[in-house]
Amino acid sequence: MWASLAEQVRLQFETWGLPEWSFSLANSLFKALVILHFILLSVLFLVWLERKVCARFQNRLGPMRVGRPHGWLQTLADVLKLLVKEDIIPESADRWLFRLAPVLVFVPSMMLFVVIPFGPGMAVYSLDVGLLYLVAVTSISVLGLIMAGWGSNNKWSVLAAMRTAAEVITYEVPLALAVLGVAMLAGSLNLERIVEAQAGGRWFILVQPLGFVVYLIAMTAELRRTPFDLSEAESELVAGYNVEYSAMRWSFFMLAEFGALVGFSGVAVTLYLGGWHGPWLPPVAWFLLKTFGLILFIMWVRWTLPRIRIDQLMDLGWKFLIPVALVNIAVTGVYLVVM
Amino acid sequence: MGYLADKTVDVIRSTKSIGEGLGITFRNLFRPPITVQYPDERVKISSCFRGMPALLTNRETGELNCTACGICARACPLGIITMELGKDGKKRFPTSFSIDMSRCMVCNLCVEACPFEALGMSNRYELAETQHGSLVWDLDRLSRLGREHPASQVGQPARKGGEE
Amino acid sequence: MSSARGSATRDEKLAGSVPAEAMIAGSPSAGERELERELLVNMGPQHPSTHGVLRVIVRLNGENVVECRPDIGYLHRCFEKICEEWNYLQIGALSDRNDYIASLANEFAYYTALERLVGIEVPERADFIRVIMAELQRISSHLVWYGTFALDLGATTPFLWAFREREVLLDLFEAATGARLTYNFFRPGGVRNDLPAGFDREVKKFLEVMEQRIGEYDKILTGNRIFVARTKGVATLTAAEAVAYGASGPTLRGSGVDWDLRRDAPYSVYDRFQFEVCTAPEGDCLARYHVRMNEIRQSIRIVRQALEGLPEGDFRGKTPKAIRPKGEVYMRTESPRGEIGVYLRGEGGPGPYRLKWRSPSFVHLQLLPLVGPRGLKVADLVAFIGSIDIVLGEVDR
Ligand code: SF4
Ligand code: SF4
Repeated sequence: MWASLAEQVRLQFETWGLPEWSFSLANSLFKALVILHFILLSVLFLVWLERKVCARFQNRLGPMRVGRPHGWLQTLADVLKLLVKEDIIPESADRWLFRLAPVLVFVPSMMLFVVIPFGPGMAVYSLDVGLLYLVAVTSISVLGLIMAGWGSNNKWSVLAAMRTAAEVITYEVPLALAVLGVAMLAGSLNLERIVEAQAGGRWFILVQPLGFVVYLIAMTAELRRTPFDLSEAESELVAGYNVEYSAMRWSFFMLAEFGALVGFSGVAVTLYLGGWHGPWLPPVAWFLLKTFGLILFIMWVRWTLPRIRIDQLMDLGWKFLIPVALVNIAVTGVYLVVM
Repeated sequence: MGYLADKTVDVIRSTKSIGEGLGITFRNLFRPPITVQYPDERVKISSCFRGMPALLTNRETGELNCTACGICARACPLGIITMELGKDGKKRFPTSFSIDMSRCMVCNLCVEACPFEALGMSNRYELAETQHGSLVWDLDRLSRLGREHPASQVGQPARKGGEE
Repeated sequence: MSSARGSATRDEKLAGSVPAEAMIAGSPSAGERELERELLVNMGPQHPSTHGVLRVIVRLNGENVVECRPDIGYLHRCFEKICEEWNYLQIGALSDRNDYIASLANEFAYYTALERLVGIEVPERADFIRVIMAELQRISSHLVWYGTFALDLGATTPFLWAFREREVLLDLFEAATGARLTYNFFRPGGVRNDLPAGFDREVKKFLEVMEQRIGEYDKILTGNRIFVARTKGVATLTAAEAVAYGASGPTLRGSGVDWDLRRDAPYSVYDRFQFEVCTAPEGDCLARYHVRMNEIRQSIRIVRQALEGLPEGDFRGKTPKAIRPKGEVYMRTESPRGEIGVYLRGEGGPGPYRLKWRSPSFVHLQLLPLVGPRGLKVADLVAFIGSIDIVLGEVDR
């Protein structure tokens, strides 16, 4: 449906006598806008959801005042507040790094969405090396985080940036190794092919449970959520790498964080939970349902567990997840050869 | 091999402990929230609750019990009670009386000291004011407070034990 | 970092070990090279996990603590000096404000000291009421500790659960004393008023709920693998060190020293109750955690016994008309945090000539420079501060 619509528009462009590239441009712009709105809306919703879910776990009510029932306008009010807040750049900060960092954190988390197929043929761009692209893109944001920490010229934020770098780089490895198993089974790096390979309820979580667990843990670490929230551990580091940020610059970090949450969960659904497949409902609905279900699970974990320590984090990554992921690959390889 | 076995046991145990924790949080999801939406709803305060002190009025005569004897002012650790004595023949009454609520620590000592049961702890706990000056409560407001707010049940001095 | 670049600041001088001349700008010396490798940070006074306004000056090598020093005094209110001006009754109200998490424990210490000095008899019923209230206070204080400790370790949910239970306790306190935080409930020779009707029923109801909730606490933290990894073997304190540094209460018992004033130097009517003194031999954060969790259980036991055996009679004994004692007394009691010591000297005036307050939190804070450099990470330092359960109101007084 998506493709045929685009085809019609392309023909229309031709009848108007516009050159070929103008269609590509318009097409990309349109897709970017849609994705951007999807991210913004889901972040708005997720921030509210997180507060509500956390409140209910703790026998509280959460936001109730702005927008009845249940304060559903709360995040919007917060956004407005952030928009009108004063943007403070510390005097001793490295101004360039300080300004660039939020963008550099935000953009990669948006770039995740380029290859995620929301439905059949509904990826922004059906990249043949999609999986490789994902692994590459996720490691960019660490640059932004270090820049934010260093550029703020604040000791706490430097500490947090160092932690973040260690964490994100460490967990890149098991993440990449885990998704390798899926690529081997599907025989493709294209995410749409991977989803198609899971048709008929043959979800990869059933044949790759180990890989899924490794992916889930590594993903939580990449997202820096409890129990891996060392980089913003407020009881240790006050607030983390973004301690000096305020107003819109700060909200970019927030956007990136929740955007990445949606992105990583979407990837997990694509790789392990059968993507858009499911009975009765339209594919997109299934995809979103699964994604948000996974997000709820991650929130649930977050509001249950204490935080892990930095050396334990490294131990878990290098000494446990990576060997397990390697074993997973070996087993998958044997399975492929034998079957 | 022993190492691997240990590791496996550890992993199973950890998973179990984390699973149990998740179970507990999940169970709490269905407990009713304990939040009270403060300005809209209020908690029911106990009849013994003591808020700020107030001047009590004799229900029958409609006059204040206070004789401006000044004992409460001396009992107050912070010395924030002031008054002026008025005389009308034999009758003694305060012409002015004030408590500086910006400093009061709601300790109840003034109430216990008063020999005429003229002071009581009201159940008023919202002490914020929009103007600095109105934090000092004068005779008028204190006696109105005493008439409008019920006095704390435990605020009254303990007479049971008695003194030698 | 800004302070490492600039000229000598107060912090750096405080942190010591770097010679002052090394911090004059532009002279690359051994000291400055040292500074380049190490990071000097101020934890507090505005920091989420310093339990009030504590400032810890920490020298870090990466994540490792090289040295740490507490800098206290931000909450100093001249408690002891004010006591020289006020009379004995007024000080009771003030003593609440020392350890505001466990106000009644302060009152208990102060009034037992005063009663020993003056020689006032406390009726049995009053003593039982005191014990009930003090043990409920211990539960509520340990609940605050449980919540904040979990918060220090990054688990937010137990914090709110602990406060949920504490709220019920505060309602009970409100019903009995009229206040929720600083009660001013004890009086010379007893307590201000009798327990309200139906109080024991409410308390029993709470204790039952509490017992069940401790099971939940256990499940979410005690057995949790991450929690154990974060606390086991962290900031270990040997028994000898704990004694040498004057630790007391759960901090001491967490190092395996079997010492509880309620049993070993009984005051009030503690000698009439059956309870265990909880100890754990390891001396690490986990041991201190277990001791406190068990103490909640023991407190429940004591309250139950006291409610059962609550005798009839006066809740306030006979007191001399004017309390103007002469002489001196030292009294110590077991507060939730450790040993509160009150030295009271009267010279016949309406108030004491001198009052000295030994607060357990202050003593425990001295352990920080000792334990800090033992390979603790920043996160461990936070865990350690949480595990000794300090209240800054009591440290600074
Ligand atoms: S309130 Fe009581 S103690 Fe105070 S002046 Fe009046 S009568 Fe005297
Ligand atoms: S309650 Fe206490 S502080 Fe307040 S006026 Fe009475 S004696 Fe003074």
